[in-house]
Amino acid sequence: MSFKALDPEDFLVSADSVTATAWSTNSPTLTEFYTASATSTNDSYYKNVYQTGSALSNAAVQFAIAYGNSTGLGSALFNDLVAGKSPTRTVYGQYRNLVYGDENASFIFGGVTASDFWALNIERARYKESLLKGTFNLTLTNGSETVKLTDNSGLVSTDTFLDCGRVYQIISGSNGTSYDGGTGYTTASGSYGLFLPDVGTILLNPEALSASISLYPSRSSDSAGENIQSMFNAVVNGASFQLNSQETVTSDYVYIRTRNAEFNYSENPSFISGSTGDVLYTQFINSPQTYLTTVGMYNDNNELLAVAKLSKPLTKDFTKEALIRVKLDF
Amino acid sequence: MGYLNNTAVTVDAILTKKGRELLARGDGSFSITQFALSDDEIDYTLYNPTHPSGSAFYGEALENMPLLEAFPDETQIMKYKLVTLPRGTARMPVLDIGYSAIRIKQGASLAITPQTLNYLSQTSVNESSGYTFTISDVRLFNTFNGIGITTPEAQAANQTQTIGTNVSKTVIGTTLNLTATTVNTLFGGNTNLTATLQVVGRDSGARISIPVTVRKTT
Repeated sequence: MSFKALDPEDFLVSADSVTATAWSTNSPTLTEFYTASATSTNDSYYKNVYQTGSALSNAAVQFAIAYGNSTGLGSALFNDLVAGKSPTRTVYGQYRNLVYGDENASFIFGGVTASDFWALNIERARYKESLLKGTFNLTLTNGSETVKLTDNSGLVSTDTFLDCGRVYQIISGSNGTSYDGGTGYTTASGSYGLFLPDVGTILLNPEALSASISLYPSRSSDSAGENIQSMFNAVVNGASFQLNSQETVTSDYVYIRTRNAEFNYSENPSFISGSTGDVLYTQFINSPQTYLTTVGMYNDNNELLAVAKLSKPLTKDFTKEALIRVKLDF
Repeated sequence: MGYLNNTAVTVDAILTKKGRELLARGDGSFSITQFALSDDEIDYTLYNPTHPSGSAFYGEALENMPLLEAFPDETQIMKYKLVTLPRGTARMPVLDIGYSAIRIKQGASLAITPQTLNYLSQTSVNESSGYTFTISDVRLFNTFNGIGITTPEAQAANQTQTIGTNVSKTVIGTTLNLTATTVNTLFGGNTNLTATLQVVGRDSGARISIPVTVRKTT
């Protein structure tokens, strides 16, 4: 017999969390930021940010910047005859639907209701499954003023959830905790935004940023994309955006167990001499020795589904048993 | 006194083409239920039972050889399986299918009934569990059916439909019935299509692999 049935206890399913840097530079901190010089029809909605010049072959989108406003301020109207309907209003509604799932909800940052926000939307390929809480560190600089932001995951004992999954307040601090040991923001202007790890999105509160580093969004109705550019400039001048991703990798472990009396002969053509099937050496009649190199896993139809190779041959004879753990990743 | 190494050997597995196909099918056919071991790449003529340093060195040339990575093509790996046979076995089971190569005309039919030699103390026997027949490119045949085995897994394998792709197909039976394709477009500008037929004894593990050629006639 060449096949051996696996028992239920030979299988083990393991789900392991794998974390990595979010950026395609494979560095935890992104220090250089570029936008595409070519204009796009989406420029009034968002701009993609690259780790290098967008025309270079290794350029990859790292994240996008958008600005949303509840009354459509901050960008030109779609139609001058229709008040309040502009790209920023579209973005506002889009994120409200994503975050709250309620068309009547308002964004609340640290207890303060906001009429607008900046959104940093991390490219899906960068964050894989979710953003890793406590690793968000963003420096924003406007002129001579600088603020270092993080999420407050290190300060809360219980996660808070919205329609978009887990939500953390963005505060002044680093690595998930505040600098001052307090909440990391003032109650007057509210938190610096919301960190939404499950949807790869960071919302920034203009009220808090204007109070902290005088970064004011344009709230006129005829500007086109200036707010996106002003946030981009603050990110560029801050020159430090640290973020890690988190992914759950599910692995199947299959334990291959061979007893001493099993798998000691081979159908390898070099194991026999000629077409008669005689074993190659007379020693192999009573003391056969085989060299295991490959493990094949089959279904009931004897179809080969997965295969694993050993790094070097494993000797098998009537005095040896083998235990091999095969890892299958999905 | 030293510590014994009691850790299991851990290896990473890859899915074969067939494995990916069955996983994509999502009908539960991707279910690992059994395993087999093979010694692909091992050349037993390197085993030296006359080594001057003694029996501990007989396998010197094999034991530390580097091995190639796994191939995803299920017809190119697990070729030579290790088998469980009683101690004292002097002759290994071998298959005889009556052909060393198959050349068949477009649309023609053929039945293959393998025999296992040197098995169960008999010179020649038809294995009770039958044989698995694997063709490397299923498009070459309009009919590729195994008959003679009525177990659920054999029937499931024989009823599997694979359409339009150059994947392998495995059927189970004591006899293989095949009919070469009548589809001219498969040939392109060629007059022959080639594939490999692999036959494995389900009880003995004996294996034979032969080339198959379908000749265009129209």
